[in-house]
Amino acid sequence: MTSWPMFVSTVTLLARGALVSLWLAAASTAAGTVLAVLLMAPAFSRIGLGRSAYRVFVWVVRGTPVLVQALLIFYALPALDLQTGPYIAGVIVLTLYLGALIAEVIRGGVLAIPRPQWDSARSLGLPPIALLRRVVAPLVIRYSLPAYVNVCVMAVKASSVLSIISVWELTFAAREIIERTLAVFSVLGLAAGFYFVMCFGIDRLGRRVEARLALRGFAGGRA
Amino acid sequence: MLKFERWLEVYGPSYLDGLGWTAVVALVAAVAAIAWGTALLAVRLQGGRWGGRAVDAYVQLLRNIPVLVPIYIIYFGFPLIGLVWPAVVCGGLALVLQNGAYISEIFRGAYQAIDHVQFDSAKSIGLSHWHTFRKVTMPQVIVYSLPALGNQVVLLLKDTSLLSAITVAELTMHAKLLTEQTGAAYEAFVVVAVLYLALVGVFEVAFGLAGRAVRWP
Repeated sequence: MTSWPMFVSTVTLLARGALVSLWLAAASTAAGTVLAVLLMAPAFSRIGLGRSAYRVFVWVVRGTPVLVQALLIFYALPALDLQTGPYIAGVIVLTLYLGALIAEVIRGGVLAIPRPQWDSARSLGLPPIALLRRVVAPLVIRYSLPAYVNVCVMAVKASSVLSIISVWELTFAAREIIERTLAVFSVLGLAAGFYFVMCFGIDRLGRRVEARLALRGFAGGRA
Repeated sequence: MLKFERWLEVYGPSYLDGLGWTAVVALVAAVAAIAWGTALLAVRLQGGRWGGRAVDAYVQLLRNIPVLVPIYIIYFGFPLIGLVWPAVVCGGLALVLQNGAYISEIFRGAYQAIDHVQFDSAKSIGLSHWHTFRKVTMPQVIVYSLPALGNQVVLLLKDTSLLSAITVAELTMHAKLLTEQTGAAYEAFVVVAVLYLALVGVFEVAFGLAGRAVRWP
């Protein structure tokens, strides 16, 4: 980067890439959260087969690199006659990956609910929907939040892997600029700066939400 | 569809080669990352206020950027400052730098679990800082942090797949090459996924056994 206009255009391009990264992370975290909530049905199913299927899904997703999952889905979708392009494929990859991680976070939150809570809810005769809405959900959200925020940070970082399956985002933009300018340290340093701001920002924001939601006597709140 | 024996004969050696590279890179990088994490802990404990701050800044920075960025910085950047290293060394170094940051945090958590009376005892029998660190602190830190360390090493193992982006011929790279040769992408990556699962399983079992071996009553 030798001149001022070049610096400005580099930063602009990287900022656009950062927005795409953030968008990819947000979309797949949202979809992954929905997937994770749906996965709670087999995870806490009374049928053993449901629980086993859940465990196998989580085991496979957590036991293989995201890049391999990305390449598999990227190549498999056209084979299934689904023409999606890299963006949709990328969001699908991250949704499955984050869905499995978030499912484990939520499952941990459910298991952390103290037994007396279940017993008292039952003794009140709460119908199942009300039990989930009034007792389980508020507690699970508070118990799971720190780990959930971690997954959100991981979502931003994992989105960089999608650059390898030709999704144009921050890492891809940085590589593109490097190939033209050879300004490796400054361009990647700027890209690192953008990632740092996004990840650190999410982390701080998460902590604020945690403090705001803290309940007396429960996760995060003083007794 | 090829018959399985024929498939194994033709592609087996290629996968085996990739598997070997992945395993070796993961193992060497894991050992180096644990050493680097230990060094960072030592600086945090003994380096005074500024040493502690420097380690904090380092850890925060590395934790909040994706591994791919340091991998590219070292692989593309080091030749510009006259350091022409093989791709696998560049990528391995990036993995060590980042995982060392995570491991130093794991170690810090374990350090806080040690009863501080022990450090007073160490001082009272005249152990130097270095001796206390080596004989009192680290043995317990390692034992307390084994489960978390196992998780981190599995993450490192999975991250070695990113080295395929800088031409290292590990498992994922071999799958990419075979895909280009045969067009059978889907099959190639399913096989690779199974091999990763097996390798992750081996690491998990190893850490599980280690955890059982060192647990004291």
